Amino acid sequence: MGLIATPPDATVVSSTSPNWVTTRLDFLANWARTSSLWPMPFGTACCAIEFMASAGSRFDLSRFGMERMSFSPRQADVLICAGRLPFKLAPVIRRIWDQMPQPKWAISMGACASSGGIFDNYSMVQGIDTIIPVDVYVPGCPPRPEGLMYGILLLMKKIRGETFTDDRLRVEKLVGPDGLYLPPERVDELSEPFGNSVSQTRSS
Amino acid sequence: MSAPTAAQSPSAQALRDAFGAAIERVEVSCGDTIVYVSRERIHDVLAWLKETPTQDFDYLTDVTAVDYRDAERPLEVVWQLRSLARKADLRVKVRLDKDGPLDVPTCWDLWRGANWLEREVFDMFGVNFAGHPDMRRILMWETYQEGFPLRKDFPLRGHFSRAEQTRQALAVNPEAHYSLEELATADAYRNLPQDMRERLRRGERGGPE
Amino acid sequence: MLRPYIPILLVTAFVVFNAVLLLGLSHWLSAYRTNPAKQQPYESGMPVLGDARQRFSVKFYLIAMLFIVFDIETVFMIPWAVAFRSLPALSGLLLVEMLVFMLILAVGYVYIWKRGALQWD
Repeated sequence: MGLIATPPDATVVSSTSPNWVTTRLDFLANWARTSSLWPMPFGTACCAIEFMASAGSRFDLSRFGMERMSFSPRQADVLICAGRLPFKLAPVIRRIWDQMPQPKWAISMGACASSGGIFDNYSMVQGIDTIIPVDVYVPGCPPRPEGLMYGILLLMKKIRGETFTDDRLRVEKLVGPDGLYLPPERVDELSEPFGNSVSQTRSS
Repeated sequence: MSAPTAAQSPSAQALRDAFGAAIERVEVSCGDTIVYVSRERIHDVLAWLKETPTQDFDYLTDVTAVDYRDAERPLEVVWQLRSLARKADLRVKVRLDKDGPLDVPTCWDLWRGANWLEREVFDMFGVNFAGHPDMRRILMWETYQEGFPLRKDFPLRGHFSRAEQTRQALAVNPEAHYSLEELATADAYRNLPQDMRERLRRGERGGPE
Repeated sequence: MLRPYIPILLVTAFVVFNAVLLLGLSHWLSAYRTNPAKQQPYESGMPVLGDARQRFSVKFYLIAMLFIVFDIETVFMIPWAVAFRSLPALSGLLLVEMLVFMLILAVGYVYIWKRGALQWD
């Protein structure tokens, strides 16, 4: 605590005070985590093609240590939801997310995974953040590989800012007894139509 | 509209000769022949089209339905047929009054492919196919409560709020109905839903047929 | 007398210590954050259907047993061949002895053959 002045209204998040040892350990752990983020490619649609292109030789995810796709959530670090998610697939992604061991992050790749994209209708989830906690949103339809890699770099930056003394991280946010993992008003708020979708209220 | 024109498929006239008044109307649109049939005789008409050697419509391209923009127009169920040998197409339609029961006989006994095609029509429009072996939803999940999505009176985003839709979607068991063949092993028996266990106990071993 | 084996024992001890250290440290230093879905087998996001415990046919056991017996027979023949080479004076006796051994096992072989143990179906 000595050299760092904490403002009086700041929320103290860590159970132990940050010191040289914890910060060095954090640096080590975060370096290890960011250097080989094994993705779980949850590719459903067109964004999956761009994801595959990113993994190819021209754009190369291998330079981030991410060429080892883990199709089992047990060995995956980051769930990359690439593509639109129908409501019918919602319990599947929720279960796969629950089966990933901590530490885990989620990248919502593309417009459909982030907000439902062009599919503002009865069958599509309006953003996977209504179902799982998302760390990075990558916009695009589909995002170019450079866009996805920028999102991955943002995630790596976020991971580097983590500390093991923070109790709010690495918490399993499960689906509650009411059947949702967020309060219903929040789900409705996240699923609000925006842009031109606002005018599309007719049934035909 | 009932006089045969040069572009009309010869099947239309053959149908008129065979079924007379059951053929309500014949239309030609963009080179396709469309035959409107009364609901009572539709199965006979389809069977005749499949089995008569001169017609030989052995390939059911699609079964679908139309709900027109104008609410007073009836709902139409459409069968798109093709004769592979003759390379001929035919469209057969039945008009269903939206006030009455949306019931049509199945053509699964004629074309096995109609199984899923009719399930899709049921799922999206609510048309029941009498005699279908497995009449349940196919695109939406089986316990989908909001109604029939492709009808014109169904709002684009569904009836329920997004939170409610998410909640219902997350509560669905995606494996609620596997084919009985796959689940007839003793291992999975304990986990089967009650109605499937009943069917297995009564001796059903496979899916339809 | 056992001095040359000490390095092997040391290596074995080191390996065991290393394994225990790695597993033990990771067990005691980790925070287990489990949830019901995590405990269940991965089935592509679907709820688990059925049990992994299956009944095995006893045929596999039988074949394994027969294999062991005849494999041991083969194993015995190898040092016998070495001894045979180094004792040329007794070659006749040794040959007869080995043939008797093989005859005994051949009787057993005929027995299992006639009993149908070699039939898979």
